[in-house]
Amino acid sequence: MAQIFDRSSNALARMSLILTGLITIALGLTLDELQRSPWVTRQGQRADQPVPFSHKHHVEGLGLQCQYCHTTVEKSSYAGIPPTKTCMNCHAQIWTNAQLLEPVRHSWATGESIAWTRVHDLPDYVFFNHEIHVNKGIGCSSCHGRVDQMPIMYMQNSLQMEWCLNCHRNPAKNLRPTSEIYNMAWQGASELRPVWCAAEDVPAGSPTAGGVTCTETAPGGEVQMAALSSPLTGLHTQTAATAIGSENTMPMTLPAGLHYTKFTSQDALGQFLVQHYNVRNPRELTSCEVCHR
Amino acid sequence: MNNNERSGFSDQRSEQSAELRAQSSGEAMTGSANGLVQIEAKKPTLADVRAKLANQKGKKFWRSIDELAETPEFAEMVAKEFPSQASEWIDPVSRRSFLKVMGASMALAGLAGCTKQPDEPIMPYIAAPEDLILGKPVYFASAFPFASGAVPVVVKSDSYRPIKVDGNPEHPYVRGGSDPLTQASLLDLYDPDRSQHILYRGETRTWPAFLAAFRSMLADKKPSGGQGLYFLSTTVTSPTLAAQWQQAQKNYPQAKFVQYEPVNRDSHYTAAKQAFGSFVDAQYRLDQADVIVSLDADFLGGATFPGFHKLARDYAQKRKLDGTDQMNRLYVVESVTTTTGFKAEHRLAVRPSEVAAFAAALASAVGAGGASGGNWTDHQTKYLQGLAADLKASAGKCVVIPGEFAAPSVHAAAFAINQALGNVGKTVVYTDPVNPMPSIQADDLKALVADMNAGKVDWLVILNANPIYSMPADLDFESAFNKVGTVVHLGSHWDETGEQAHWHINNAHYLEMWSDARAYDGTVSIVQPMIDPLYGGHNAHEIVQSMLEEPDVSAYDAVRGTWKDQLSKGDFEFSWRKALHDGWIDGTAYTPKTVTAKAGGIAASAPASGDSVEVAFRPDANVYDGRYANVGWMQEIPRPVTNLSWDNAALMSFATMEKYGLAENDAVEISVGGKKIVAGALAVPGQADGVVVVTLGQGRRHGRVAGGVGYNAYLIQQSGAPWMQSGASLRKTGDIYDICVTKSHHIDQRSVKAGGDGSWTHSIEGNESLDRGIIRYATLTEFKANPEFAHEGEGHDTPEPDDSMFPAYRYDKNAWGMSIDLNSCVGCNACVTACYAENNIPVVGRHQTKVGRIMQWIRIDTYFEGDLAAPRAHFQPMTCHHCENAPCEQVCPVGATVHSPEGLNLMVYNRCVGTRYCSNNCPYKVRRFNFLLYSDVYDWDNPTLALMRNPDVSVRSRGVMEKCSYCNQRIQEVKIAADKENREIRDGEIRTACQQACPTDAIIFGNINDKASRVAKAKTQERTYGVLADINTRPRTTYVAGVLNINEDLAKQLGEYST
Repeated sequence: MAQIFDRSSNALARMSLILTGLITIALGLTLDELQRSPWVTRQGQRADQPVPFSHKHHVEGLGLQCQYCHTTVEKSSYAGIPPTKTCMNCHAQIWTNAQLLEPVRHSWATGESIAWTRVHDLPDYVFFNHEIHVNKGIGCSSCHGRVDQMPIMYMQNSLQMEWCLNCHRNPAKNLRPTSEIYNMAWQGASELRPVWCAAEDVPAGSPTAGGVTCTETAPGGEVQMAALSSPLTGLHTQTAATAIGSENTMPMTLPAGLHYTKFTSQDALGQFLVQHYNVRNPRELTSCEVCHR
Repeated sequence: MNNNERSGFSDQRSEQSAELRAQSSGEAMTGSANGLVQIEAKKPTLADVRAKLANQKGKKFWRSIDELAETPEFAEMVAKEFPSQASEWIDPVSRRSFLKVMGASMALAGLAGCTKQPDEPIMPYIAAPEDLILGKPVYFASAFPFASGAVPVVVKSDSYRPIKVDGNPEHPYVRGGSDPLTQASLLDLYDPDRSQHILYRGETRTWPAFLAAFRSMLADKKPSGGQGLYFLSTTVTSPTLAAQWQQAQKNYPQAKFVQYEPVNRDSHYTAAKQAFGSFVDAQYRLDQADVIVSLDADFLGGATFPGFHKLARDYAQKRKLDGTDQMNRLYVVESVTTTTGFKAEHRLAVRPSEVAAFAAALASAVGAGGASGGNWTDHQTKYLQGLAADLKASAGKCVVIPGEFAAPSVHAAAFAINQALGNVGKTVVYTDPVNPMPSIQADDLKALVADMNAGKVDWLVILNANPIYSMPADLDFESAFNKVGTVVHLGSHWDETGEQAHWHINNAHYLEMWSDARAYDGTVSIVQPMIDPLYGGHNAHEIVQSMLEEPDVSAYDAVRGTWKDQLSKGDFEFSWRKALHDGWIDGTAYTPKTVTAKAGGIAASAPASGDSVEVAFRPDANVYDGRYANVGWMQEIPRPVTNLSWDNAALMSFATMEKYGLAENDAVEISVGGKKIVAGALAVPGQADGVVVVTLGQGRRHGRVAGGVGYNAYLIQQSGAPWMQSGASLRKTGDIYDICVTKSHHIDQRSVKAGGDGSWTHSIEGNESLDRGIIRYATLTEFKANPEFAHEGEGHDTPEPDDSMFPAYRYDKNAWGMSIDLNSCVGCNACVTACYAENNIPVVGRHQTKVGRIMQWIRIDTYFEGDLAAPRAHFQPMTCHHCENAPCEQVCPVGATVHSPEGLNLMVYNRCVGTRYCSNNCPYKVRRFNFLLYSDVYDWDNPTLALMRNPDVSVRSRGVMEKCSYCNQRIQEVKIAADKENREIRDGEIRTACQQACPTDAIIFGNINDKASRVAKAKTQERTYGVLADINTRPRTTYVAGVLNINEDLAKQLGEYST
């Protein structure tokens, strides 16, 4: 009786074994990539919104401050989405007939909410808190990207757990002075853009940033206060600086009494801020209960 | 879930259980006429069990009679980690379809992580409220109006939705504690079965339409002064409503206002009227009392007892042994086994009809008048004499508290004893009554029913009552009801009464309306609305107001008007806002009245003959008189003492069961005065023989939760003696009533060599409690002689942290821990209910509870000790111990339960794949597995219940293990606040939900690394011990062992406490 399989079948069998292995690996890799892909995470996707609201126009173009709309970002876990009233503050006066703004006027007239589609949407078992992040020196752009350059809002980062942990394991690389929280263009300290910071003792119980003063201009000379902390910035306006500054004959000059340190790397600046902002250590920050309850 | 499934009489299941029993016991089966397969279960006799107990030496504890008796049912129930079905798929899945399903799951397993989230909308405000910060809760002071005195509360409001109700911590009366009913009033607000419309003969109407009808009737009746207009209300708690009615009465002098609710204070008021000539309330000051005597008073049982919160707090404060070795002593003489009785140093079980005679004998023995007659057993006589001697020795520092459900003569005796011993003004003071319109409700009700039958009632306006359901059977209220011209029913639910009334008006919940009420000390609280009425409900204020000259005055204006004078000492608006903010009006607490009790009234009728069966009626500990029967938490949370869940039963002693040939779960027919009900028999340790206790509040026809649960005890209640009936008869029907009881959770599957008993039929708690010192206590004398008693003896040692193969964790900053004082815990269930509310715990339903899937994160374990007829009991709140060396963490294959740097034992729900290894390995049995999308079925599909959820806690899905998190969300909230301010967390800043709810301050939570913290100090007490700490779990929750201040002479006389 002839053999059912001739010798070439051996090669086929070996080949198919190898192929099976390869396919399994490829499938694994594909799935791994897939679940990180924008298709799943929606990173970079522009959702359909009832009104094509442009952050670029309002922030970069008109210079609106983040907190004008996101009012509770320093006070609550939730940054806040502006009520229709906030839109109508201006749009009752300007662009009152624009077709694009019809949903806003409809909402204002009927009392029905504008149904936005959530762009930054964490799973329901994750409890993110804005207030502690902005109070400890994480700027808006660290997570949300250059919102001031986004005509239509999209998610800059994946917001996946690995991305969160990336920072929770080493917060220093993203920390910035709290005076720069709303500075969209902040790039961190570097050789080309050094940052000078000074710390003074403040009594326990003072707000996080109370004792730290930072500047991007070499201290001692005349500097523009606006570049440091515009009145709009709001958050922890540098009480030390203004208080001493007002006594000074040159109000726009930084206090000379502080001992400044020059930082030419983000890492060094971050470590300094971790220490003075009392940021919890990575062991605590990466403990599950911080975000999962 | 349909009613059939929940009903106790399920033939199919009875058959199954009978078969199971037959298989396991090998008994012969006999067929019965109704097709039920029945077996003669071999029940051990009382003598058997007693002998078993007698042979044990030292302190021996037990968990249930089944366990002691080694019944096959018990073996079946604990035969698996989760009792029958709990660990199995509930629907039969064939092997073939299993493989199909599994194959598909395997293929999709890798894709599970790729599930895309659906788009979520954001719906912003149109114009945001100015002071609202989304994500930050706001707290408002209000009060939970209750017939026995309002509970001043602070309501947590998230986005203006009330999500938690707790006692007002600054209120002088309640001091932050609460009780199960107060906690559950939240779910009552969001009950999806609440009535949503005004109905006239079943058709929707508007409020103006009702007002038009009501006013035209009023106009017709004005000439006759309101003849034929009757109101039937539950006890009025609002001074404003009382004032409104008094005004209305002037306009309509012939109109009648009758207050009646099933749980009333008639006994007390009858006696008070007789003794003092006026209605007064008795306020007991247990902080001044060294000896407390309860004459059938369940004053530690819950808000049903007037003044519960303060009584429980003061009672517990005198038992803390904090820097003192003085403590109070509690004697309880009771006819129904209660938690109060189990907390007593010396407890005497008597039949209901004997309470009055005992009170009279006690009065006589302490020289306060009264007859000393009565046929007392030797034991009872010794008890009486010892008690009287102790009372006399502590005159002025003792107090006698009569029960609300005892006869007026018991109250009279208590008045006389307290007066004779000089307690008045010291441990008891008399004040004006807390209710603004006190009355003898049963008398008024009888007059009303007579008028209804006589056809004198044209209009009957029922305010918040459900009389069709809850009237004593002998009044035949329903037929009288049908003789009334027009019936208006104001009620929260379209219930038994609502469906028969002509008009039904949906009532606003107390969290939706303006009103006012007095706490039991007289302090006035303003009830303020937390939310716009969900269904546009109306309230009694509006109805009564519409009879006045200014019919459209709102409840808000009416309440302000009532307190205008009181608040006008300074600026009224300021004082009003302060009253709203603080939660009470300063200076409104009652001042003691000087009254002297007249002699007499103590004479008691002779106790019924010992051969007859006496039926005692009590409100249910959870569903009260039935008004909370549709609140899922209240149905599900096991009742104290009995552990009944989703049920009520005929409670009786083991000897009574034996006498009538009954076994547990046998259906028994109880006949009183020609009326009959059928209930399941359940043995209760410590119940007096010859007594059957039935509880009110179940057997409702309406409500998706309440409908069809248990039996309706009102059907055998008699208006003349609502709380006790002698001369009842019992008959075994032959059916099985499948009572739902949660007793044990964990089988002991260890061999003899491994330390178990090898039987595989006993619960681990039961076995361990015998010799592992789960409960430790001593008498005060023993404690003084040996303060370290809790650490001596086998199994009471605590190994060093290094005695483990796992390296010890280090805790640099915070280390959270909890201390529970077993001396203070009164087993009231407030903590359990608070945990349900705080942690979004799902209600699982009767069947799931019965198969052991109840989801409670904290439970109260009751350990009995001693003889069946007169046991002591110890309550132990049991929740996750957050072990430093946690057995659960070591077995989780996916790292879903992990250890935090602060010592929390965490559950990461999204990692959990449901292997349940952790639960198997947990020695405390505190992990609960979410089997069946409980939240989906009961909550997620239900928009109203979703409003109630705590937004800071995940709502768990199916297939996830869950457990106590030490209220992690509260820890994180405080940590963020502290981090923002660059400071350490202050001691007491974090309070767990159970700690917050505890009326006796038995639970302390905090940072044990901070040696100055309360919890660290509590843990340094000599009496602190860890349960099963000898297996080196290093639990973060420790217990403070109980100390009993026994009367040594009496104990010697009675032969108690001899070890």
